[in-house]
Amino acid sequence: MSEGTPTKKAPYVVPIGPIHPALKEPVQFLFDMEGEVVKKADFAPGQAHRGIEWMGMRRNPIQIIHMTDRICGICGVTHSFAFARAIEQIVDIEVPAHAEYIRVIIAEFERIQSHLLWAGVAAHELGFDTLFYLAWRVREEAMDVIEYITGNRVNYGLIQVGGVRRDITPEQHPTIQKCLDGYRDLLGKMLNLFLKDTTIAIRCKDCGLLSFEEARNLCTVGPTARASGVPKDVRVDYPYSAYGDLDISPILPTAYGGDINGDVYDRIVVRLLEVAQSVEIIETCLKEMPEGPILWEPKLPKLLSACKKAQGEAVGRHEAPRGECLHYVAMDGHEAPAMWKVKASSYSNLHSWIPMLEGEQLADVPIIVASIDPCLSCTDRVAVIRGAKRDLMTKEDLHQLSVEKTRRIQGC
Amino acid sequence: MLSMDILLVTILAAIGLSIIGIALGLILLGIDRRISARMQARIGPPLRQPFIDLKKLLSKENVIPENAIPSLFNAAPIVALASSIVVLLYLPIGSMMPILGGYGDLILVMYLLAVPALAMVAGGFASGSPYATVGAQREMVSMIAYELPLASIVIAVAWLLYSSGVADPFALTSIVANPIWSLVGPLGVVGLIILLLTFAWVSPAELSKIPFDTPEAETELAGGVLVEYSGKNLGLFTVAQGVKTLVMGGLAVAIFFPWNLSPLFGLTGYVALTVDAAFFFAKVILLMILSVTVIRTGLARFRITHVVTLFWVWLGVAGLFGLSLVILDSVLRGWF
Amino acid sequence: MALPMIREIFAQVFKRPATNPFPARFLPPSVTEFLKKVGAGEATINPPVATPPNFRGKIVYDRDGCIGCNLCIRVCPAHAIEFIPETKRIRIYVAQCIFCSQCNDICPKGVLTMSPEFLLATEDRFAESQIVE
Repeated sequence: MSEGTPTKKAPYVVPIGPIHPALKEPVQFLFDMEGEVVKKADFAPGQAHRGIEWMGMRRNPIQIIHMTDRICGICGVTHSFAFARAIEQIVDIEVPAHAEYIRVIIAEFERIQSHLLWAGVAAHELGFDTLFYLAWRVREEAMDVIEYITGNRVNYGLIQVGGVRRDITPEQHPTIQKCLDGYRDLLGKMLNLFLKDTTIAIRCKDCGLLSFEEARNLCTVGPTARASGVPKDVRVDYPYSAYGDLDISPILPTAYGGDINGDVYDRIVVRLLEVAQSVEIIETCLKEMPEGPILWEPKLPKLLSACKKAQGEAVGRHEAPRGECLHYVAMDGHEAPAMWKVKASSYSNLHSWIPMLEGEQLADVPIIVASIDPCLSCTDRVAVIRGAKRDLMTKEDLHQLSVEKTRRIQGC
Repeated sequence: MLSMDILLVTILAAIGLSIIGIALGLILLGIDRRISARMQARIGPPLRQPFIDLKKLLSKENVIPENAIPSLFNAAPIVALASSIVVLLYLPIGSMMPILGGYGDLILVMYLLAVPALAMVAGGFASGSPYATVGAQREMVSMIAYELPLASIVIAVAWLLYSSGVADPFALTSIVANPIWSLVGPLGVVGLIILLLTFAWVSPAELSKIPFDTPEAETELAGGVLVEYSGKNLGLFTVAQGVKTLVMGGLAVAIFFPWNLSPLFGLTGYVALTVDAAFFFAKVILLMILSVTVIRTGLARFRITHVVTLFWVWLGVAGLFGLSLVILDSVLRGWF
Repeated sequence: MALPMIREIFAQVFKRPATNPFPARFLPPSVTEFLKKVGAGEATINPPVATPPNFRGKIVYDRDGCIGCNLCIRVCPAHAIEFIPETKRIRIYVAQCIFCSQCNDICPKGVLTMSPEFLLATEDRFAESQIVE
């Protein structure tokens, strides 16, 4: 009963998730199928809510900064970077330039390892486990260097409010440089294996299309948006940290010489080329890193009291490997922030699943779902469960709730 | 009519061969996993891992889903295993003639090869899961797809034997006795090589391996036709898979590489049987590595539409082209 | 039809696997038994991948140098440190520790350090190995 055969049968429903081999994290999909073709797609996130913001609002910023490392299992620095930038704006801290460069170096290493991890997952979703092993094997080089710089593979704990906790000394440069050279040599091989392979090309080209208009209207971010031709990159659009000193531009699929189709193939192209871009950025940063202290205030008790005195609100942003990550923090003179809100990059990208999935084959669902690099544990923020009943909240309900909450915070 | 003695010997030999076949099939799976692991820069499991898995599976209970049709659901793995073992009994192993050689030919073998896949389809539909239903539909489609190239190979071989004046051209015994390469001229050799390559692509499809594992498709269908199978039933399917791997290798050896070592060294008796059987198994391993392990390690999974296009268009054309080259060769040689 | 991976896998067959066979090449029938044997010197263990310098592993506490100032408790994100009023010393629950080493940074006496030890898994979160005091 392959496609093209008109079937009299009513569309049947194929559920995927919350637990399914195609999904690395829990989310539920419901597909109305007609033969092998997805007629209608729907998804329900909110299966991995952990209440991390609630925990954060009972801790001081110096404690939160290490909790933010654990929001995501892959982005060990993204969330702490964005959170630290929010606190630094509230407390009015000027981060030393030396520290800014180290932050950028580690953020770019994170992009390398995250994109390679994604490449491996994508290969696995295509049933190409050999490429998955290869991608994850070369990813280890970046992980080792991250461990060498920060002291841990996954939860780096490098960022502190007002700087970084560990310096990159000149003795460490050769090891880092060796890793970067390795990636530069490897890039040609990876491009060859991923983009020249016929079996990957026939599965990924013209699959999971997201047009420029859809990408823009749905406010997608990061490589998902860039693969559809939207030149959107927080590092370029709103330069922060050391990114302002660097000459970078958003990577679009045209950089590989093709047209912009907004398909899965383009998303592979964008991510692989961003690995090359990150290698360049790290090299430049290593060369041009100014001397200076690494922390605004090395004495933590002093930093704590400065944070405690501060009042105000701010938004910290960072271009995570998956796109813009945003932290909103409000401080009101207490130890703990009055409000902390995390918007992970995948939150903006999830809705692009619907236009991508409808009309595609069931066989392509895993790779399309994976193509936006969803990170659901970071994204899930609300799960309303009262007793045994799960409520669905409409837009009006949420609006009403937020109005109430704003009044409560304002005290009127 | 058979005398009691011969019947008894046949039954004993069949039982013995089945046990050996199951063991060799599982070893083949182990070798496949090991080599594939090395290609992926892993160490891989020990060679006896399929036996360990099987032992564990057989010690577990069968879980039958609520929506399933229990009789059909439980019968499917038994049918799959039984039919693959029966094919084994029709295959010549080394210089040993097939036990059931007198009761069927290549056509029967082709039908029997379809039975495990049919059993999986039946089991998939009977398990009442949407994943298994989609998987079963795909299994049917791919079965229909790879039959065409396979048929063209069988016809080519039979034609070749028939035109060379061999009696009983469809019988495996006569195919083994007359290596096909010796019956053709240069044009026919090219045709046979094309057919051999076609067979190398049909084997992974028969065995539902990547890139043709769409019916099982781990990432989208979570195991497809096998999704609801567990415990002993899944164990039986594993054994059937092993035996089927052995059978596909054995079939390729019988058709394309039927030579034995014993005539070369002038061996006779049981020594010859043993040496030839070992040589046979070595050939099966080599063929399996080349046509199953390499392909499944080096390619991504196809969509079901790609499977159909590949087999009906590309390999179908290749098979027919090979067949026509073989026929052309024998016709030309008839002229000169 | 271009299949660049085929060349790659043929080359790889003749190279060494990248896997580090830790703790043994194949899974022993019982890991606990195996580790006991290693302890008794009857079996050898394949070492894990080496940790870099400044690795953040299990916390080490120098009890005698501690002044009981409680600063570490204020910055511990995981609430893994407990103050014992009777002895005026702290107790660290390793099962709860997230290895951020922030307590090391804030300690005025420098009595807290991170060791490279990372094989800490056990079934009992209050086992002797899981509590530092």
